[in-house]
Amino acid sequence: MPRWGMAVDLDRCTGCEACVTACHAENNIPTVGPEEAARGRAMHWIRVERYWEGEFPDVRLTFRPVFCQQCDNAPCEPVCPTYASYHTDEGLNAQVYNRCIGTRYCANACSYNVRFFNFHNPEWDRPLDLQLNPDVSVREVGVMEKCTFCIQRINAARIDARAETEEGRIEDGTLQPACAQSCTANALVFGDLDDADSRVSRLSRSPRGSKLLEELGAEPSVTYLQKGDWDESGGG
Amino acid sequence: MGGLAASVVLIGVLAGVRLISAQDRLVEPQSGSVFSPAHATFRDALAHFLGWRREPVQPIPFPHRTHFEEAFLECTYCHDGAARGPVARIPSVVVCMDCHFDVATDREPIQLLTSFYESGQEPPWERVYGWLPEAHVRFNHAPHVRREIECTVCHGDVTQMIVAEPAVDHTMSFCVGCHEQSQASIDCVTCHY
Amino acid sequence: MDRRQFVKATAISGASASLAACGNPEEQLVRFISDEPLPPGLAVTRRSVCPLCPAGCGVEVRVMEGDVEVVRDGVRGIVKKGLAKKLEGLPGHPVNRGRLCARGQAAIQVTYHPDRVRQPLRRTGDRGSGAFAPVSWDEALAELAARLEALLQDGDPRGLRFLTRPLRSRRGVVISEFLERFGAPAPVVVDLFGDAVLRQANLESFGFHQLPTLDIAQSRYVVSFGADILGTWNSPVAQSVGYGELRQGRPGIRGKFVQVEFRMSQTGANSDQWVAARPGTEGFLALGMARAILASGRRSPSDGGRAGELIEGWSDGLQAYAAEAVEQVTGVPAATVEQLGREFADNGPAIAVIAGVPLAQTNGLFNALAVNALNALAGSVGVPGGVRFTPVLEGLRGLDAAGETIETLARSILETPAGGAPPVDVLLVHDANPVFGAPPAWGVGEALARVGFIASFGSFQDETSAMADLILPDHSFLEALVDHVPEAGTARAAASAARPAMRPLHDTRDMADVMLDVGRRLALDLPTEWETYEDVARERFEALPPPEGFDSAWIAAQANGVWIGPEAPVPEPASFPDVRPRAYAAPEFDGGADAYPFHFLPYVSQAFLDGSLAHLPWLQELPDVVTTAMWSSWVELNPRTAAELGVEAGDLVEVRSAHGALQAPALIFPGIAPDAVAMPMGQGHENFTRYATGRGANPVRVLAPTVEPETGGWAWAATRVTIARLEGAGDLVRFGGALREHPDLER
Repeated sequence: MPRWGMAVDLDRCTGCEACVTACHAENNIPTVGPEEAARGRAMHWIRVERYWEGEFPDVRLTFRPVFCQQCDNAPCEPVCPTYASYHTDEGLNAQVYNRCIGTRYCANACSYNVRFFNFHNPEWDRPLDLQLNPDVSVREVGVMEKCTFCIQRINAARIDARAETEEGRIEDGTLQPACAQSCTANALVFGDLDDADSRVSRLSRSPRGSKLLEELGAEPSVTYLQKGDWDESGGG
Repeated sequence: MGGLAASVVLIGVLAGVRLISAQDRLVEPQSGSVFSPAHATFRDALAHFLGWRREPVQPIPFPHRTHFEEAFLECTYCHDGAARGPVARIPSVVVCMDCHFDVATDREPIQLLTSFYESGQEPPWERVYGWLPEAHVRFNHAPHVRREIECTVCHGDVTQMIVAEPAVDHTMSFCVGCHEQSQASIDCVTCHY
Repeated sequence: MDRRQFVKATAISGASASLAACGNPEEQLVRFISDEPLPPGLAVTRRSVCPLCPAGCGVEVRVMEGDVEVVRDGVRGIVKKGLAKKLEGLPGHPVNRGRLCARGQAAIQVTYHPDRVRQPLRRTGDRGSGAFAPVSWDEALAELAARLEALLQDGDPRGLRFLTRPLRSRRGVVISEFLERFGAPAPVVVDLFGDAVLRQANLESFGFHQLPTLDIAQSRYVVSFGADILGTWNSPVAQSVGYGELRQGRPGIRGKFVQVEFRMSQTGANSDQWVAARPGTEGFLALGMARAILASGRRSPSDGGRAGELIEGWSDGLQAYAAEAVEQVTGVPAATVEQLGREFADNGPAIAVIAGVPLAQTNGLFNALAVNALNALAGSVGVPGGVRFTPVLEGLRGLDAAGETIETLARSILETPAGGAPPVDVLLVHDANPVFGAPPAWGVGEALARVGFIASFGSFQDETSAMADLILPDHSFLEALVDHVPEAGTARAAASAARPAMRPLHDTRDMADVMLDVGRRLALDLPTEWETYEDVARERFEALPPPEGFDSAWIAAQANGVWIGPEAPVPEPASFPDVRPRAYAAPEFDGGADAYPFHFLPYVSQAFLDGSLAHLPWLQELPDVVTTAMWSSWVELNPRTAAELGVEAGDLVEVRSAHGALQAPALIFPGIAPDAVAMPMGQGHENFTRYATGRGANPVRVLAPTVEPETGGWAWAATRVTIARLEGAGDLVRFGGALREHPDLER
């Protein structure tokens, strides 16, 4: 059974935010409009954080894409009174919309601020709704939502793989969430962490790798590879 | 990706869409200029909450039994999506007319069927099964067909029915029972996402 | 009704028994037979080309069946249609290699936009009022043909003009041919924030009137002078793919990336070394690097070839560009200049690239020529890992700005004395919005108001199409046959082609088909084979060499989404223009430094480009990556400057130049020089759909009409402004920060 994970190479990420729009398109994420956005209610399952250091002209700006870290020891899961937030056998923090009663405990427990609540029924000015992805639920008011690692693509890939071969192995590289597929600099790599040869596990073992807020002990499935340094002798 | 997906891709590329002066013009739906998962009316909300659903009323009493016993049609001849993907689909009247252009043209229901076809309309068939949107259930026929699960397991013996009836209650315990028995995944996100 | 309302309502009525009483069967709509055979619930993949910028990324369109409410022959009903659901980069496309940027992802919202023009419209109110009424295609085309026929009758075919954005498809050929047969002047290409200056420089230095293709993936060192290579400029996806490889694509090799600019851009944030040089002095810095290379003996002047000879003082080792002089002029420390020069020469293949602010100056052409000379000196031109030029096959060249510009056109109209007939009687507008984008001093809006008759092919009402007498709405790119020849982004010749990915949603027609139709009505002598635009596109493709396994390049292009040319030798320049060597001249700014102490640096927005994409809700709600702002305009101030002015984040400030003023909230921005302010372009639309109208401010309103004198390119970064704090707060929405339930109470 695979254990899904992601590697984010910060030395490649350009902050272009292709992932952000791709995620909206794939996962039926509504736009909330300027008034709600001003209340902090905009929904972006993936965002690009930015950090300033220094003063002009010695100023640095770095980017970090942040999305659900699919923690192995996830703080969002034990707090859910209805088991809407739970851990799957493949290592995902799943969110079951029809169990969710909207306590928002999970969002408060999450260290990464990646869970989003539907304060209202989402709306699409017609005919924008014709773009909605029929493979993904449209969530209603009162429901918490978050990155699923594009579970609809995982399930479809598994069905395809089982149609092909008996053991139904999803070959490395055949399955990508929308963010990784769009990523212009190839900074996001998705795959099976239990497959030692997969690209994501090789990257996750990189000496540049670390977890976000590792000290909290949530054991994320996402590894961030730090920016490299230029070395005139050619190394990197 | 399976061969199936590959062939679909190929069809897509070669078919494309021919530039025709399509006569269909998009209009603002009667339900309004905004789409939302909210219930349109109080009645809808109540009906959904109580699981109340109107009995389907079919425009023509379609005899499934006759098509199985006398025309020897497999279910997937008309419900051709079932083996390929998520949706089995109610066949278009165009499929009906493949045969009924010649067959049983003297019968009143076939004449009614033909008149729908000639007016460019589908008969207003009503779905017999289906979940509410807020159940967030995603079902895919194809893997079940590939595992050779008989259609009758979930739909009753439609081959012996005249008009299809909801013979099996598609509750979660019905699905999970079978999944447990056949050691298929009962992870929530197998179906709810 | 939401869940809470529902529970309340049930409690009050308490009656499930009354259910039957309110159980009227819903009104049933008829269901029409669909003639699009699609597998139910499964996606099919079709091809297209992203139209939002000139890069021309190949697109894979995921199409699925969906129910749509339509009117067919006057009857309302539901029909199953193939609907585009998601755009992906087309794998194997030589430009974007399966990737697609944020704007490209959002392009799908163009097709489904609620404010699209759905049928031809005729103006009913005053020009610019936006009052239109539907009209049939027959009527609309008859009216347009009659206006044009009248011009022919009057012997005044030169009274027709066609405004268009740059085109890299054969639609450009249809337009040009139509105008030529009609007897009208060539199309006026509107490319206000375009690269006319750089194309001219590349022609003078290298013989190619073309943007460069940057082979970043195989490079070891990239210096960008103001070019937003990872964001919005040239072929950003191709360049980002290459950047990923520059950084981590080769074992043991990690290339260095240096950005030179005065305000840190998204691209600049990714640099290993960020260098702040004063606007308009970037060419001086490039020559300082060149001088360091020459002085150290790493290269000799002859290595610079023709590109070097175009710089005065080159053969003498660029004595005027000693590091100390460079520090004086640019503000970059002398040691940094020496270091950059040495590294650039020692870490080849190296790329220097220039675009944006340095070119939008009165000395823009010189800055570009200087960077070209630096590239030539390092031996970077035409080599793997360097600066290359995409081979463009004859007959596939696009339609770029040349000759008459929107500025000269507007002037010629405005110079007509009152009561006289302006030189333009009929104006056709395709995909250009100069009323929004051109500096106010050019008077484009006033000029258009004096034109006898305007027809727009716009899919939306915007500031320009609102001036039209007729709107003849075009298909969206997903509904049209598309073809595209990239100018840059690939080292091999390429041409994309794709059939429509879906059928038109509305009563729209392809602009090119409309032009052909009008041409027939006027009995213009257009090629008889050109019955539809498909015939025009196919014609040129069929003359290309078919790749292996295909009978024709046309079929191959459609099957793969793109035709890729054979491995060709590095193209030889056709000819060089005869030009004299140039010397550096300091940039001139509009507005004196005393009255207007700040450089005003507008920049092409990550989300909206020049503003043409402000109507897409996904892009409005996309947090700008550098500021996290959404749905807003803002003015970026250095923290020190803000403190001196007493301005805090969100305070409303006024930006005033000699040409106008605007108001927008302030944003404290560490990555900008204390004597500069910056502002993204794109907002401030007066009329551009429900999502963009009346939102934010348009920086163009304060820009001077200064041009780069040799090319006529608009120097949009050569304006100086003053900043004043106003009372109150502006509307600045940001994604960053904690949850704010009551933003009005915080501040």
